[in-house]
Amino acid sequence: MTSRVPAFKVRATARVADRAMHLALWLIALTFVAVLIGFVGGILKEGWSELNLGFLTRMPEALDAGGGIKPELFNSLYLVALSLALAMPIGLGAGIYMAEYAGQGRALRFFRLCVETLAATPSIVLALFGMILLVQMLGWSFSIRSGAVTLALLNIPVITRVTEESLRGVPRELLEASYGLGATKLQTILKVALPYAATGILTGVVLTAGRAFGESAILVFTAGTNVSQHFPDFRLSVPGETLSVHLWYVTSDGTLPDATQIAAGTAAVMILVLLALNLLVRLLDRAIRRRTR
Amino acid sequence: MAEPMPDLPETTLDAPLLPDGLARIATQGTPCPTPVFRQSHLHRLADRWTHLLFLACTLLVVLLIGGILYFLAARGAGAFFPLAGNTDKVVTFREVFLSTNWDPGDGHFGIVPFIAGTLAVTGLALLVAAPTGVLTGVFIAKVAPPWMRNVMRQVMDLLVGIPSVVYGIFGLTIILPMVGHAWLADAPAAGFAVSAAILAVMIVPTVVSLSTDAFESLPSSLDEGSQALGSTRWQAIWRVLIPAARPRLLTATVLGLGRAIGEAMAVQMVIGNNPQWMLLMRQATDQTPVLRFLFTPAATLTTELVQELPNTASGSTWNNVLFAMGLLLYLMTMLLILATRRLGRQEHA
Amino acid sequence: MLSPQTPETKPVKLSVRNLDFRYGEKKVLDGLSMDIHAERVTAIIGPSGCGKSTFLKCFNRIHEVSSAVQVSGQMAMDGVDIYRGGIDQVDLRRRVGMVFQKPNPFPKSIYENVAFGPRLFGVRDRATLDGLVEDALRKSALWDEVKDRLKESATGMSGGQQQRLCIARALAVNPEVLLMDEPCSALDPIATAKIEDLIGELKENLTIVIVTHNMQQAARVSDYTAFFWLGKLIEMDLTERIFTTPRERMTEDYITGRFG
Ligand SMILES: Nc1ncnc2c1ncn2[C@@H]1O[C@H](COP(=O)(O)OP(=O)(O)OP(=O)(O)O)[C@@H](O)[C@H]1O
Ligand SMILES: [Mg+2]
Repeated sequence: MTSRVPAFKVRATARVADRAMHLALWLIALTFVAVLIGFVGGILKEGWSELNLGFLTRMPEALDAGGGIKPELFNSLYLVALSLALAMPIGLGAGIYMAEYAGQGRALRFFRLCVETLAATPSIVLALFGMILLVQMLGWSFSIRSGAVTLALLNIPVITRVTEESLRGVPRELLEASYGLGATKLQTILKVALPYAATGILTGVVLTAGRAFGESAILVFTAGTNVSQHFPDFRLSVPGETLSVHLWYVTSDGTLPDATQIAAGTAAVMILVLLALNLLVRLLDRAIRRRTR
Repeated sequence: MAEPMPDLPETTLDAPLLPDGLARIATQGTPCPTPVFRQSHLHRLADRWTHLLFLACTLLVVLLIGGILYFLAARGAGAFFPLAGNTDKVVTFREVFLSTNWDPGDGHFGIVPFIAGTLAVTGLALLVAAPTGVLTGVFIAKVAPPWMRNVMRQVMDLLVGIPSVVYGIFGLTIILPMVGHAWLADAPAAGFAVSAAILAVMIVPTVVSLSTDAFESLPSSLDEGSQALGSTRWQAIWRVLIPAARPRLLTATVLGLGRAIGEAMAVQMVIGNNPQWMLLMRQATDQTPVLRFLFTPAATLTTELVQELPNTASGSTWNNVLFAMGLLLYLMTMLLILATRRLGRQEHA
Repeated sequence: MLSPQTPETKPVKLSVRNLDFRYGEKKVLDGLSMDIHAERVTAIIGPSGCGKSTFLKCFNRIHEVSSAVQVSGQMAMDGVDIYRGGIDQVDLRRRVGMVFQKPNPFPKSIYENVAFGPRLFGVRDRATLDGLVEDALRKSALWDEVKDRLKESATGMSGGQQQRLCIARALAVNPEVLLMDEPCSALDPIATAKIEDLIGELKENLTIVIVTHNMQQAARVSDYTAFFWLGKLIEMDLTERIFTTPRERMTEDYITGRFG
């Protein structure tokens, strides 16, 4: 009796489709590589002529050409530092709670939902919130402190999530070893879990710093579009335009004759800072991988 | 006795279990060698109470979610109801949510153009970003050689790290002039097409990284099983892997959409900021409505907020309607997050 | 080693009566009762999944830090119920040390691993710490191998050394009981022999409970052996008798490898 199963052959069309899709996938991927290169290259090329010490160390001009970005650079770093200083303890605390104390039930799911929602909230919405509560109701006006607090709202969910994830990645055996020696839960968290998770958390913090550094929508409405006339001005009550806000403001305001150059130079500076941060993240990542091997 | 347990009555135990023929002496502790360790009082107290501190941090996040909702709603409501602090007239929901006429100087506050603008630009961006993102995810997880995998991860990390204003300035100074010259003679290139293109690049890393995770978490038996049956690699991807990863791929897309809806600065810099774009579209009489649509200067919810909020007086109807738009954005993201929850449950079901 | 001819002279250190244990709905231990004598080595044997590790963890209540479990019955150390309200789990775990299946040193230096415990209890003085660390490392027969590289990372040691380091770490807080869950299953024969020798020395002033899948090991190191099957204690007796004249048919079958 002959088998009723026909002799199947992979159809030629299927083979062709397979080849074509393989090619298409490579093409799509390479397109993104090209987009990135074109992008970073384009920004750096446009801003190249501005990349000099004078540009970085001059005060900005209000109406004339030739302004620098000294206070904006300072404000960017200052605001990132302040917002991280605010967000770190809160994010760490919340992450620790969710990983170690919240259990596995409904409470944890609810907290996660909240953290995700805050993480997904558009920065313009956070900006509105900061503007109502801090700028207007508390009367802080457009200032470093309004900006720092609102910017912290952007950082908190990211740090919370990365803390929770890193703590969950701590091997159970290490925790058991610590408990087995008679350590309290707090001691175990502080002396075993957090040190182990530290590199992961740090990576998250650096990524957060990068995001905060590039953020503009929040700061336009909370830290304002002006800078103090003093330098360096550490006061929290003065307006604090950052690099990213400056970049946006000079292009949309259009009073500066050399707005395009200044924007291009600022963009180039920001790209360079972010490339450096990216490098840092990769080094941290490598450290993590070395340890787990 | 070594280290006495806290004062407790001796347990009454049944008689000791004796293997046959063994004599026993009474239950008694052995002397414990020095030194004896005890947790200090401070450690115990700290252990008992610090979790409240951690809980407070978590509750702060919860409170923030509610706080944002409350303050935006309070201000947004001022547009529709005569609340304290209102200095201006109120408008009806109809006049705001169903009208395409935005002319605040003249007392018209229809926000349909912005909602439509947001939908148009995010829809277009998603049209590009969702398929390419998912395919790049497949590529990274299942097709690319290891070195290319690393390159792609790097590329996505860098793309996601570029600030929106830098995307904006790139669009403004490089893309807009280019497109304007090549395709449209002298018409302005600002509008949905360029905004959506930039937005697509901005959200693609989100889609890629989540769909890569989705494909990587599939058991390798799935595509091995399929290919063992003689399917080509592409057939395995298309018929087995993508369907299996579907809920998570949708989640990736929804989260990408969330990012697109909320993006403000980059879009604001290239979209042209024309609240009357729908009117313009209607009056247009040229032969190519699609091209018109793609290259008409327009506006979205976020861009209009960036554009107009600084110029409006607090308490005015205009200002309140803008806050209502902010509230709308917030509710949209909440909805999207809830949608991802749904999808997550589907995946486990 | 204890034999049927010599009477037991050591007191009962740990006693268990009618112990039931559940993970949620699943009953893992069922009506266990036994006595464990001080300064003796008690081996627990039985097929995989019969609840040996679970039983061990009941002695220092370490399962309670991660999962929701239900324990009923009595478990006493020195005659005091360790599941009574008011019992301090932290203190209990200090007194009942544990060594795990896989060596699990902290990713710190050798010195810091051993000093970790004493530091928890507020020992800060360097000289005292040095003394404690040396003591513990000597007791675990590791001192000579590591005394010149105390500052090096513990994760760079061999598996057998790591496991002895874990024993040293446990000894450094001066426990009264040492629980060992298949301490040699990840080690080669030479390292295993070292740990077995060590167990013989340590029982001088410790109560040791060891879980093992290795019958020869149980026979070599233990005074008593308990055979578990599906969460029940089938038989417990002097090791010598379990391996020569067990009372239960099941025990004999298991030991001779006819099932398991
Ligand atoms: N955390 C847990 N949650 C639910 N069930 C568990 C958990 N840990 C163990 N069990 C179950 O309890 C039973 C006993 O597990 P246990 O680890 O004590 O067995 P064991 O005798 O040590 O096995 P092995 O020899 O393989 O180590 C097993 O059926 C296991 O599936
Ligand atoms: Mg076990």
